[in-house]
Amino acid sequence: MLKRVLVLFVSLLFLFVFAACSSDEDASSTNDGAEADDTTSEGTEIDTTPVTYTFFNAASPGKDIDTNTTRIGKILEEKTGVNFKLEHIVGDMNTKIGVMVASGDYPDVVIPDAAIDTMLDAGAFIPLNDLLEEHGPDLLEAYGDYLDQFTMDDGNIYYIPFGATVNEHIPNPNIDQGAFWIQRGILKEYGFPEIKTLDEYFDIIERYAEENPQIDGMNVIPFTGLTYDWRFFAFSNAPNHLAGYPNDGGVMIDMETHEASVYADSDYAKRYLKKLNELNEKGLLDRELFVANYDEYLAKLSSGRVLGFFDYGWQFGDARNALRDAGNPDREFMALPIVLDEDIKDQYLDPPAFTGNRGAGITVNAENPERIIQFWNELIKEENQKLVLWGFEGEHYSVDENGLFYRTQEQIELAENEDDREETGMKTFEWNWPRLNGTFSDGNAVEPRRQPEVALASYTDDDREYLEAYGVQTFAQLFSDPDERPWYPAWSANIEQGSDVQIFEQKSDEIVRRHYARIVLAEPGDFEKEWDDFVAEYRKLDVDAYEDFFTKVVQARVRGEW
Amino acid sequence: MSLQQTTTPVAPNPIKPKVKPTGFKLFIKKCKEQKVLLLMSLPFLIWLFIFRYVPLYGWTMAFQDFKPARPIFDQEWAGLEHFEFLFTNARFFEVLRNTLAMSLINLVLGFITAIGLAVLLNELRNLSFKRIVQTISYMPHFLSWVVAASIVSYALSMENGIINIVLMKLNLISEPILWLGVGEYFWGIIGGADVWKNVGWNSIIYLAAIAMIDTEQYEAAEIDGASRLQRIWYITLPGMKPVIVILLIMNLGYILESGFEAQYLLMNPMNMDFAENLDIFVLRYGISMGNFSLATAAGIFKTVVSFIFLFSANAIAKRLGEARLF
Repeated sequence: MLKRVLVLFVSLLFLFVFAACSSDEDASSTNDGAEADDTTSEGTEIDTTPVTYTFFNAASPGKDIDTNTTRIGKILEEKTGVNFKLEHIVGDMNTKIGVMVASGDYPDVVIPDAAIDTMLDAGAFIPLNDLLEEHGPDLLEAYGDYLDQFTMDDGNIYYIPFGATVNEHIPNPNIDQGAFWIQRGILKEYGFPEIKTLDEYFDIIERYAEENPQIDGMNVIPFTGLTYDWRFFAFSNAPNHLAGYPNDGGVMIDMETHEASVYADSDYAKRYLKKLNELNEKGLLDRELFVANYDEYLAKLSSGRVLGFFDYGWQFGDARNALRDAGNPDREFMALPIVLDEDIKDQYLDPPAFTGNRGAGITVNAENPERIIQFWNELIKEENQKLVLWGFEGEHYSVDENGLFYRTQEQIELAENEDDREETGMKTFEWNWPRLNGTFSDGNAVEPRRQPEVALASYTDDDREYLEAYGVQTFAQLFSDPDERPWYPAWSANIEQGSDVQIFEQKSDEIVRRHYARIVLAEPGDFEKEWDDFVAEYRKLDVDAYEDFFTKVVQARVRGEW
Repeated sequence: MSLQQTTTPVAPNPIKPKVKPTGFKLFIKKCKEQKVLLLMSLPFLIWLFIFRYVPLYGWTMAFQDFKPARPIFDQEWAGLEHFEFLFTNARFFEVLRNTLAMSLINLVLGFITAIGLAVLLNELRNLSFKRIVQTISYMPHFLSWVVAASIVSYALSMENGIINIVLMKLNLISEPILWLGVGEYFWGIIGGADVWKNVGWNSIIYLAAIAMIDTEQYEAAEIDGASRLQRIWYITLPGMKPVIVILLIMNLGYILESGFEAQYLLMNPMNMDFAENLDIFVLRYGISMGNFSLATAAGIFKTVVSFIFLFSANAIAKRLGEARLF
């Protein structure tokens, strides 16, 4: 009896140990397989034997598919033999990349997004310089102007960023960036007035709210904003824009001296908060401004009873679609370039920018990395970029006799259809792969939405009514053109993990969040006191060091050192 | 099986009583007697060692400026720098206060409501009604906090949150309250939400404890003329006492775990002074900044505090002559 029990347990024990070992063996055997594959594929210049690489994207969640299941992916596979097995992030980026680095178990291609320093520190990426020289002539050409922006101090290129502007920069005809938004029916009701300053903006909202206290039987929300979690910047960035600066992050950069200064405790911020404080006193401010989460915020915007708010266009696309579907065009929102004073020139539109510190890199685990470069090189060619961004000719776009691309109403709808975009691969390759921006050599915009013909065709009759009333062709024309800022955007500077600058950002974020809420909701009599409290608390941090850091970054970039 | 081997209380030789073995000898003797049991527990000991003790070497991270993927020799040693950052940060003590407060509220409320519910359920005579109540009460336990927090936040909303509506209709308040906008309410909200979510689940173990009580005791008490309340007070509660004490000791060990999701999801700029707890602090300054060393340092601190609580609770139970953990 005893013996039998003993045998049972000993064998169980062995089982445990074996289970642990065998999983290791599995992993190594697949590696062997990959190697065996590769030995056969050496030799010829462009080798098209099928090969599948793993591709991990930490920048955004998405569908985990094989690229060759899409139409564009198939075309590219035919030319290069390369297929990618995509995997997207679930959960926290830093944790995922951290684990990856700690185990050394890398997929072949990784987009580490903001955790890129961790990957570089660990030596996870291979230098691409020689590979690009040999296998990526089109890549080098497309990224030519920007190469020094992502060449590291050791002279090596470790990753390829996305969206190199070639030829001409075309501004977006619609506003997907920051703006003060207003329910456009208000403008119509009062005869399309020109609204430039914050005072005018709030005056017209106040007037409308008094005359129309209810919409669809519910109380109107005259002014609200987005303050939830990391999206709080959509609230705290407003003073910067009101002062006539684009979104450089936590600092404003002086156009002359190129010095960075924080604006959180600036006079601009104070004036904005004072205004909100007054609104709150009059009962015009959303009472749940600092409490609502992102979903509640979107629900509010979609309900059609919000009259105005500040936000970045890309954050409330869902609400915008919902309003459009609701079929009441006057309840839709229109973006206005509001500034504090009459003489400030608005700078809401982004200057042409290139984010040089994000990208896709090839890891040390990838066998035959030149195959990946060959694939990317194929992808960046204009003909394929047209497929990725415009789709298939005749299906997603047409060409007129002058070679100009346009889309008919059905084509616009097809190109917006998510299922179709997935099937063609337009959704897969649209970003997170080497990509162009600007215009093609034939003059067409790289991005259809930036092509004036497409933008105009997608406007409804109601949209046109507003455009005509203000004498513009696109909604972006209400805004001033962006001035040249060669350092833009300053926020893309590489801030070292755990550095004082990073700790400053975390701490100041906390202070701003806490105090802004208190200041706005304070009794008007306490406003000054609350403001002084905030400034005192804020200035306890090492603000100068933070400003110095960005001043140095900006000045280096102006000198051309990225 | 081999039961006889393990239980031999009678001395083998009654004529010449052997001196009872002590110390190491006793240990060896016992081991021999119980070798089967020992063998049976061996795999679990190995498991415990591999998964609970070996990873402790990661604590070295707390004393380094840890960079992933580098062998331990290449790490830069930082001494107590990370502990210093923790203990000199004014925010840390606020965070600690919030953690302890929410933990204690959860502990006390959790115990009282779960025991109360178990006792009440036990008194129910209608079986199907009892089942329905039990099912409904433990349903929310299976919701993830992400969903639960949304429900809580909608229930507390000013516009058409059920809490405000009920209070208004009862004329308890004259205008809706912005519950999540007042920091002082936050601990209560978390406590309440936790009770709503977990009370049914937590009561299950007490129901089991009640089921262990000999029904003859109740019959005897009934014959002696004990009322219902007296039966609860003198039979049910004392019968549950060992379970209650054990659970209390175990939960005290988790005193610095006030939960994470609920606070994180219900936190906003207006209540963050009361909402931010240790886990959120560690997330913000440690993990999301890639500072694993700081996160580890905070983890060590938590472990030490947990140990202190666990041992002192156990010692108190021992002194009071109650059931205890070890």
